[in-house]
Amino acid sequence: MTGLWIFAAVSFLGFMAYAFQLWAVRAALKTASGNDAGSPASGLFVPPISILKPLKGLDDNLFDNLESFCNLDYPEYEIIFSFQNRNDQAFKVAGKIRDKYPHRDISLVVEPCNAGLNPKVNNLIPAYRRSKHNLVLISDSNVMVGEDYLKEIVKHMENPEVGLVSNVIKGVGSHSMGSVLENLHLNSFILGSVCFLDRFMGMPCVIGKSMLMRKSDLDAIGGFDAVKDFLAEDYVIGQRMHQSGRKVVLSNYAIHNVNSSWGLDRFINRHTRWGKLRWQIGGVKYLSELLCNPVFMAFLPVVLWGPSRATLCLVLSASLIKIAGDYYIGTRVLSGVATDAGRIDGTVPRMSCYLLVPLKDILIGGLWFVPLISSTVAWRGNRYRIGKDSQLFPLASGLQVRTLFSPAMLLQKAITGTLRMAYSIRERSA
Amino acid sequence: MLLCDFHIHTRYSDGSVELSRVVDLYGQAGFDVIAITDHVVNGDNPIGKMAHRLKLSIREDTFEEYMAHLQSEAERARNKYGMLVIPGVEISKNYLTADKSAHLLLLDIKSFIPACQSYEKIFLSAKEQGALIIACHPHHMSDMSKDTLFLWNNRDKYARYIDAWEIANRDDVFNVISLKKYPYIANSDFHKTRHLYSWKTMLNCDKDVQSVKHCIKHNKGVSITLFRQ
Repeated sequence: MTGLWIFAAVSFLGFMAYAFQLWAVRAALKTASGNDAGSPASGLFVPPISILKPLKGLDDNLFDNLESFCNLDYPEYEIIFSFQNRNDQAFKVAGKIRDKYPHRDISLVVEPCNAGLNPKVNNLIPAYRRSKHNLVLISDSNVMVGEDYLKEIVKHMENPEVGLVSNVIKGVGSHSMGSVLENLHLNSFILGSVCFLDRFMGMPCVIGKSMLMRKSDLDAIGGFDAVKDFLAEDYVIGQRMHQSGRKVVLSNYAIHNVNSSWGLDRFINRHTRWGKLRWQIGGVKYLSELLCNPVFMAFLPVVLWGPSRATLCLVLSASLIKIAGDYYIGTRVLSGVATDAGRIDGTVPRMSCYLLVPLKDILIGGLWFVPLISSTVAWRGNRYRIGKDSQLFPLASGLQVRTLFSPAMLLQKAITGTLRMAYSIRERSA
Repeated sequence: MLLCDFHIHTRYSDGSVELSRVVDLYGQAGFDVIAITDHVVNGDNPIGKMAHRLKLSIREDTFEEYMAHLQSEAERARNKYGMLVIPGVEISKNYLTADKSAHLLLLDIKSFIPACQSYEKIFLSAKEQGALIIACHPHHMSDMSKDTLFLWNNRDKYARYIDAWEIANRDDVFNVISLKKYPYIANSDFHKTRHLYSWKTMLNCDKDVQSVKHCIKHNKGVSITLFRQ
């Protein structure tokens, strides 16, 4: 029984941390953290911007995502869609966008680049070389923005001390189980952590969905060459910018990260990969993630001592509190900052989707252990081993076979397989 | 080259995705031409009657609504994505045995054609409307319970009426079409979102209905591609 109290206490501490995250999210979305960086927001500061969009494959909602960048209310900007291969399926979509907006300065760059091991950076290097303006915005293909996006983020750059502006992200477009879990996680743990680190810890936590920088500042920290072999190139750029004395600002302008038709395996793959990144970057601090997962901590006694009134009460209480908290962020806090929300079908997870929050947290809790026993990642068709600060190392072919049967991979496969089987049974019985 | 899919189902029959979302799925993926081809099932036997009862078939009384919705979605697709949407149906003659069953795509259809008519009458009505006739999944498929072999087994009699044959359907490839040198196209037989990634047709022609039909019928500038994520 003592053990149960210990887990209950840890779960309570997790909720305390969660409350701070909620507070941080509310605070961050109400006022830009850039204000303390002294952004005057005069509205007259509208320098030309080069938007670099590295594209590979068909992301959900790709056409609308790209099109949203053609309708920005901003005087002068160019968009560079960059590809490693002309046969990429996104090439056709980008071509259609260019044809639809002939008055926009849009170019398609196809240039294979093997400078480093990070495929996104390889894709960015040729686009960066061809960009015309001093301000560059790196924007992922699965991002959709509103018309005032550029005006909202560029105002921070009026302050010469600011070196990088990133944004809070909101997961939208839930049409499948994987997408629902992904968006629930983005809109709770990821959003909460980014805001908490920015607000209370003063730590830049840059997510590469949107990064606005001056070329001079990026070049001063070594440019893309310096991060070409890092998986978390966004985090490394943010850190180096911070270390170079430049301010890293988290804009309160929420951009949409569209995840519509993800499978469970993609959700698991991404968060295993992100977990490995955080383990390699944060080291022992990674432990705090487990302690800050109150539902998982409340669920462990059920596994250890079996279901009983006490253990079930604990996990049920924790689940209800977490559902309420995540629902509050997703529907109240984030809805106030929605940009063009009506344009995406199934924008916000429905209320019933929030019932999946405990399942998601337990799943994430299980995945937390994978980075401790594996340092290999699969990303966009490539497999790597990751080292300190997410530095990538190529995997020898012999090692690839071995990793397929590694304990981490087997654990990941077991979780995916169990969920798939449950989903399949549910579908058949429906 | 135009990226095309001429065999797509929606919730108007047994598809699991709404028509407007189907249009968006294909538009977002950069497709140039699609044909919506919901089932028109023969109601002259218990299988067909069941399909009608479960609303898995376009009926004469729902055809107008179907066409009106298709027309509005076609306009939206053209304006938003620059994508051509061709109205069509899949005439589905389902019987207990595969040898008796056959499915036909009628592309650019204008008025309702019942599936319980004879093949000759269906072909004649389609030709009168200027519709293109495609024989669907004409040979053995990986899911043998869905085989529809009647047209292939009677090709000597009916091939002259058929403008093209599906050489590939979703994941299946029918090499017999190639061996016979019949005009060919490849389609997804889309019912679920994941079916977007399947065999497709590429056409080298202008993006309008007449050019597309001409290109398929004369089978010049036609190639197939396996569209994968």
